[in-house]
Amino acid sequence: MDEKDKKESSESPSNKKIDRRDFLQGLAGVPVLGALAVAAWKQEAYRRAIRSQRAAGSAAPEKEDDLHVALLGVGAQGDVLLNSMLKIPGLRFQAVCDIWSNYNLKRAGNLLRKYGHEVNTYEDYRAMLDREKGLDAVVIATPDFWHAEHTIACLQAGLNVYCEKEMSNTLEDARRMALAAGESGKLLQIGHQRRSNPRYIFSHDVLLKELKLLGRMVTAYGQWNRSAAPDLGWPKRYEIPLATLRKYGYESMHQFCNWRWYKNLGGGPIVDLGSHQIDIFSWFLGVNPKSVMASGGTDYYDKSTHEWYDTVMAIYEYETAEGTVRAHYKTQTTNGSLGYFEQFMGDEGTLVISESANVGSVYREKTKAPMWDRWVRKGYLSEPKLMEMTSEVDMGDALDVRETISPDEHKLTLQFYDAYHKPHLENFFNAVRGREKLNCPAELGYESAVAVLKVNKAVEAKRTLFFDPQEFLV
Amino acid sequence: MKDARLSNWQWISLVVLRMLIGWHFLYEGVAKLLKGNWSAYGFLMESKWIFADLFQWMAQNSTVLSVVNTLNMWGLVLIGLGLILGIFTRIAAGAGVVLILLYYVCNPPFVGLFYSIPTEGSYLFVNKNIVELAALLVLMAIPSEQFAGMDRILYKFLKES
Repeated sequence: MDEKDKKESSESPSNKKIDRRDFLQGLAGVPVLGALAVAAWKQEAYRRAIRSQRAAGSAAPEKEDDLHVALLGVGAQGDVLLNSMLKIPGLRFQAVCDIWSNYNLKRAGNLLRKYGHEVNTYEDYRAMLDREKGLDAVVIATPDFWHAEHTIACLQAGLNVYCEKEMSNTLEDARRMALAAGESGKLLQIGHQRRSNPRYIFSHDVLLKELKLLGRMVTAYGQWNRSAAPDLGWPKRYEIPLATLRKYGYESMHQFCNWRWYKNLGGGPIVDLGSHQIDIFSWFLGVNPKSVMASGGTDYYDKSTHEWYDTVMAIYEYETAEGTVRAHYKTQTTNGSLGYFEQFMGDEGTLVISESANVGSVYREKTKAPMWDRWVRKGYLSEPKLMEMTSEVDMGDALDVRETISPDEHKLTLQFYDAYHKPHLENFFNAVRGREKLNCPAELGYESAVAVLKVNKAVEAKRTLFFDPQEFLV
Repeated sequence: MKDARLSNWQWISLVVLRMLIGWHFLYEGVAKLLKGNWSAYGFLMESKWIFADLFQWMAQNSTVLSVVNTLNMWGLVLIGLGLILGIFTRIAAGAGVVLILLYYVCNPPFVGLFYSIPTEGSYLFVNKNIVELAALLVLMAIPSEQFAGMDRILYKFLKES
């Protein structure tokens, strides 16, 4: 570049007229802007493709094994299930029913239509069952005290049913549900969704049964800690008229929104939260409990609006083939620290597992257990995380000879980051198609209900209550 | 202008710097607009240091928050366009400095302040925001738009008329 060029190009605009060089250099940003536009457009197209992929099924042409599904109850839990189901291919939503017609029902209907499902909406489930033809399955997420009536009516109408847990708030109703399923010949899956969670299945089938990593199991523990929370509210302009509420068994809007806390409607936190985890005790230990004692009460919230206990601790005894196992379960609704998980302890190891995707470890008891290197090499477990002594954590003086050395922690290598309820729903729909067996059929749900509902009875009785093995049979 | 006698290499590097910052601003704005429901709520509520009350007030007042959201999204877009195209460049760079300064004082990486918003690096007093701010000051000080940018045309056009 000669001297003249340099002068022209590098100096601030001269007093000459606008020339070609001014134009070229003046518009230097335009191609950059174009490049950004193309990049942003591609990025956006990618994002949309991912989103529509997740909402699979709706736009695809109908296939032979597509299932026609109705939703009964689309409150908070129904919403969770609906969002999981929107990710499952091969489902055609046909009808939605909820008594909160200008709020929940509207929201669910609009959501489904947005995803291309032509749904009819109903306030009364009987009208839905009368008018909707060609349904294959119903997913029920109504309050516990409605489960029996809804489930039995749907089964008798010839539909397969996925019903949220707890099966019912009374054992008589739960039994009627299981019997109705047997008589109808239709499927009834109960929503203990951990039964289909790949991490739980792996822990049970491989770690406990196949490898027997824990050795002789002696104790189990489970907890669900939740932070203190105000009662659920509702938008005043969408209030359900009192006459409608009464028709469906509620005394007030407050009771309708907070039914879980009311006796006769729900079972309280021990049932809402504990039943998931107490179900894991029975599954992993391979037996139903022998006895339960419990302490609980409404210690924190207003007793008039929280009839069920906000804090419960229960101790179960299990008689396994290898000996007695004692299990402690705690639910607290006033502090969320440490969250929720289940823990099993044997003489060779400890398993800590949770539905929460980042909790899942086994700890090897160094004093007794064989090395687990094989299982690490096979890819079942991560490399052990060793307790390292650093200058900051100098335990020289603090380490007491009576303390045993800390166990190695191995993380479960199997990851599961999808919607928690999706595998259980998939299991149900695949069972409807005849390709799988239900992971939690009515009989299992019933056993779980027997074990859990007795906690509330034990709290009232203030003594150990025993289970008759016959009790667990429908 | 004695101080404007820079070599082409010096001018080009400044223009590249300007366009990179412009790209960053513009895409930050565009991405928020495309998201549809983006809000500064989380960021403002995380505010630490002496202006925390002010920022949290902004977050909690829904009218103020929607104004803040709109201003931020469109501010980012306009500043980005200004820097990439080199049009009203000094104004754009100045506005960018103000915007970044707001982000900085909202959540400054000072000794003893911790955030739950995860960050990808380790910062003490100096974070990437403040580096970008300093770069914008350089662009305000040296008019790279007069080498390459629409301001170059605009400047001549105004002189001609």
